Amino acid sequence: MLELQAETLDGIYAHAKETFPDECCGVILSDGNVEFVRRCKNIQNEQHAKDPETYPRDARTAYLMAPDDLIKIHKEAETENRPIKAFYHSHPNHDAYFSEKDKEDATAWDEPMYPNTAYVVVSIYDQEIQVTRAYAWSDVTDDFVEVQMNTNQS
Amino acid sequence: MAVTVRIPTPLRRLTQNQAEVEAAGSNVESIIDNLEANYPGMKERICDESGDIRRFVNVYLDDEDIRFLDGKATAVKDGAEISIIPAIAGGHRK
Repeated sequence: MLELQAETLDGIYAHAKETFPDECCGVILSDGNVEFVRRCKNIQNEQHAKDPETYPRDARTAYLMAPDDLIKIHKEAETENRPIKAFYHSHPNHDAYFSEKDKEDATAWDEPMYPNTAYVVVSIYDQEIQVTRAYAWSDVTDDFVEVQMNTNQS
Repeated sequence: MAVTVRIPTPLRRLTQNQAEVEAAGSNVESIIDNLEANYPGMKERICDESGDIRRFVNVYLDDEDIRFLDGKATAVKDGAEISIIPAIAGGHRK
């Protein structure tokens, strides 16, 4: 189960609306008390423009977190003692499923890259948030499965 | 020359669950070779068949992505910190 604060979801939704019709992406950190939404730049458009063969999708249908943002967030997680709680991204004009590409990209060396971290997916159609779901790796099914997501008022 | 290498969760099985290990080398390539010597299996996970850093692996020297430095030839000074962080990516059905 994933528990998120209402403000955290508000932050994610604002991000999804700003980047629409492109996918947004980011990381949620938590010190156990307060959650921090850290936006990442989605560099999929740049990669697609540079190398369309390797990156056939643009940011409307895919995301790739900017490596510069990722290292900063990892450092913050460590130095400020705010471990990574979840990753998030949006699916513009699509449902909040965990796609085959989401699964493939969350897996490296035949195993989940972040086995203990949830992935939050937001469905947004025409600037309107539709539904949000969370997924995480399950050792039981050896696959990513939907996990219950609860919202807390902090 | 000794540097500290930060190991991502899925690769810690190779390092007996250590999140940080020491490695030696004057550039990123020789550090990867040194990691492979001490933790077999590390190189094939970081590098592809042609020896290039895999697309979904980010390697940083003191917070700088080595793709924007000299790649594997990036010189590394004693005491530096190397971080290996898998890329976070995905996308919806087309």
